[in-house]
Amino acid sequence: MKKNEPNWLMVLRTVMPLGLSYIPIGLACGVLLHAAGFNHLLTALISVLVFSGGAQFLIASMLTINAPMTTIILMMFFLELRYALLGSSLSRYLKGQRLPFIFFFAFSMNDENYAVNYLKFATDKQWKPSQAMLVEHYSLLFWTVSNIVGSLIGSALTINLSVVDFALTALFIYMAIMQTKSRLTILVCALSGVLTIFFLVLMKSTLGLVVATLLASLTGYFIERQLIAHKPESHLLYKVHDPTGHSAMEEDSDK
Amino acid sequence: MQSVSSMSSLDHFWLVIFCAIVAFIPRFFPLLFFTKRKIPEWFNEWMRFVPVSLFTALVVKSVFIDSKYQVMTSGNLGMIISAIIVGFIAFRTRSMTLSVVIGLVSVMIFVLVLHI
Repeated sequence: MKKNEPNWLMVLRTVMPLGLSYIPIGLACGVLLHAAGFNHLLTALISVLVFSGGAQFLIASMLTINAPMTTIILMMFFLELRYALLGSSLSRYLKGQRLPFIFFFAFSMNDENYAVNYLKFATDKQWKPSQAMLVEHYSLLFWTVSNIVGSLIGSALTINLSVVDFALTALFIYMAIMQTKSRLTILVCALSGVLTIFFLVLMKSTLGLVVATLLASLTGYFIERQLIAHKPESHLLYKVHDPTGHSAMEEDSDK
Repeated sequence: MQSVSSMSSLDHFWLVIFCAIVAFIPRFFPLLFFTKRKIPEWFNEWMRFVPVSLFTALVVKSVFIDSKYQVMTSGNLGMIISAIIVGFIAFRTRSMTLSVVIGLVSVMIFVLVLHI
């Protein structure tokens, strides 16, 4: 970290990879919403109020297949339930914040800026809730502007969705790798992957993501507890080698 | 039942408002609950496994599951190879920017150029 760098610039540097990957995805999302009949103002509104790539893609595709409004809202509800997990796991870093802060923090939280913030909170003891909020607002700005531009360009742009969407997939792969601290975590990842496929196919909704995440994380927790209690020398508790030798993977000591 | 043609901008407006409400509820209340109360240690220990499980789940969903919630059996080889490349880059370099950029370039080559 550079010395004397102003806070806004330091946070912007942290959020930049996310902001850049939001540009193609936001453009694509704006194009789709435009095709689904949304005007520019509504596209801007939904980007700020809902602020979730997956949700906005879903709304656009549901509108183009003439789905009734109640169905869309119900699907949204199941899609967004996973945010309960995100909020719960960030809560220990936001203790003592005032209600308005919690309100606005929750309002602009999504998968991607959660990922950035969780990593910062877990590895950087200097990371403050106000900086986390700034991360959210920067990502919101990138997202909304990209959506509006996409909406304005409209059908002039042809986009391969699976390619554009891979920017976020790459981001999540990076986050998963950075969170892999012990061999046990690798086991939890594998379990989560298998459970995800099983429950998504079974439940035909993103609720499968929630169930898989809950089961995999609970299994990891119970295995870790059993190992620490009965078999503390287990190979599963070994730390994963970090080829760069940075201390970024080390747990915060104040846990 | 409404269709696209009969859905006015006002309908869209209400759709956005309702979606915003259902999106806000699960983001806000768990966060509020757990920041205002003493969090039990077991809960923190459990939550430590949540991000990695969720990220893996999101990756597996986008690489292996199609929009109809069926397992993709073809057309995703390029994404699988790109995902492995990104994993390797992330592990070696620990750089978010490099991971995303190389991932995008690789998936463009595999999907748009080589069509796998």
